[in-house]
Amino acid sequence: MTSEALSDEAVFAAFPGVLIDRDNIAHYRGIIAGKLLINRCSGCGYWVYPHRPLCPQCLSWDVQATEVSGRGKVFMFTLIQQQRDPNNRLREPIIAAAVELVEQNGLRYLARIVNCLPDEVRPDMPVQLTWIAHEGQVSMPAFEPMPAWEG
Amino acid sequence: MARNPLKDQIAVVGVGSTPYARDSQRTALSLGLEAALKAIEDAGIHRQEIDGICGSGMDPLAMGGAGFLSLQGALGIDKTTWCKNGWLGSSFVFAAEAVFSGLCDIALVVQVSMREVLMSRSAASDPFRLRAAQKKMGSGLFTENDFARRWIHSGEPYAGWMGRYMHDFGVNKDAFGLMAVNNRSHALRNPNALLRTPMTLDDYHASRMIWSPMQMLDMDVPVDCAEAFIITTTERSRDLKQKSVYVDSMSLGGSRVGEFYENTLGWTDNAFWVCLEGLWARSALTVEDVDLFYPYDGYTIDAIATTEAAGFCKPGEAGELFKSSWDTRNSILRLNGGRTLVTTHGGGLSQGRAGGANFYTEAVRQLRGFEGDRQIGGAKNALVCIGSFFHDPSAVMLRTD
Repeated sequence: MTSEALSDEAVFAAFPGVLIDRDNIAHYRGIIAGKLLINRCSGCGYWVYPHRPLCPQCLSWDVQATEVSGRGKVFMFTLIQQQRDPNNRLREPIIAAAVELVEQNGLRYLARIVNCLPDEVRPDMPVQLTWIAHEGQVSMPAFEPMPAWEG
Repeated sequence: MARNPLKDQIAVVGVGSTPYARDSQRTALSLGLEAALKAIEDAGIHRQEIDGICGSGMDPLAMGGAGFLSLQGALGIDKTTWCKNGWLGSSFVFAAEAVFSGLCDIALVVQVSMREVLMSRSAASDPFRLRAAQKKMGSGLFTENDFARRWIHSGEPYAGWMGRYMHDFGVNKDAFGLMAVNNRSHALRNPNALLRTPMTLDDYHASRMIWSPMQMLDMDVPVDCAEAFIITTTERSRDLKQKSVYVDSMSLGGSRVGEFYENTLGWTDNAFWVCLEGLWARSALTVEDVDLFYPYDGYTIDAIATTEAAGFCKPGEAGELFKSSWDTRNSILRLNGGRTLVTTHGGGLSQGRAGGANFYTEAVRQLRGFEGDRQIGGAKNALVCIGSFFHDPSAVMLRTD
């Protein structure tokens, strides 16, 4: 991180609904900076996700939040047609996906798929990182089809 | 006698503890993982041999902590056939029964305790602890203004019972104070204890009043810490590197009080008495055989109740027993005519609040016999009693050859 890293309090304030702790705060600080960071073992290079302080492969405690390439494939997804309130259906379904990042087998990051029609999303579809702007809020990571993707 | 088919069939083969600190600047999971790795190393096993996990907490699907759902993946353990969360003393009993029943062969128990925001002002000023408290599910259970429901899992009724005990038996607070001094004296020799300044009975009486008649030094000290232990079959333990510590007998204890602490029952009907009665009905040992005694001390009244329930004295006589058992040179208790030491690590009152898990690890270390200048000589039987005066306490008799 840069020397002007945001304070813990600023990170908390940016994500009022999230359980931020010492094992995942670097991830959220990265989101504010427009970077997708995943914990990575400095010893053996294993990516540790969900965010935890110990490498489950080599048991090293030297785990650092590290930027990923942002490229991956849709491993699985669902179309969210309604939120909890059945009377308040969404006009457009939300695509919620587990994206398997190219960095490591099984390294799956949960995010929305955007810039893609709901009936065009497929398992193993190549996707790349993008960001969704929310008015007055932090832009959040999402994924979109790779430009070369022809379906 | 009750059935006791598990006698000597289960062994504790590894223990691990983190440092005890007021502010470790770490997550519960991080502390739990450290204790787990130390216990695994202590046992000399590979982590993939673990096939059962008991994590920390009351909630089976606890999130944001050191529950089994987080621990297994975070430790990189591929397969388990038994998992559960638990807290206080019953977590040990759960793991032992799982090994005995065959649901797993090597169980890892991880118990994490954090200094939470309701425990101290400085904890409440930590934004990470505040965030964890705000996001905790079920926190609406505790209603400050609804007194009809105020004593559900509350500390205040322990203070109520303390006053009732003094009234019924016509005694002062000396029993409570001597237990607190005993624990502090042992903590002075424990490098991993948080409170290591000497304390006198006068210091106890002068401490701040919290819930009259309960004072600050009647309460365990909140810390960040974790403890872990590894439990397996006696047969398997013979191949492992540590001297085995066996489970002679164990019991839980339930009463009709449950989670509402208004408490319809009398002093000797409460859960510790049920629990200790269950233990003595299963063990061939008696209270005179206890070399080391580990009564939980979340509040001093827990330890007083356990001392009486175990049969070291009659109800109401703990104060007299402690005065006649007091080693003035060392400021510690010596029960059973001088042979039996109590809470040799300092307990929750002075080592730190670990939900009682530190009583188990200390008992195992003392029975193994390699604690250097802290070692108590020749101990064979240790009675560990952990849990609430009101619900699910455990009594476990550990022994070694």
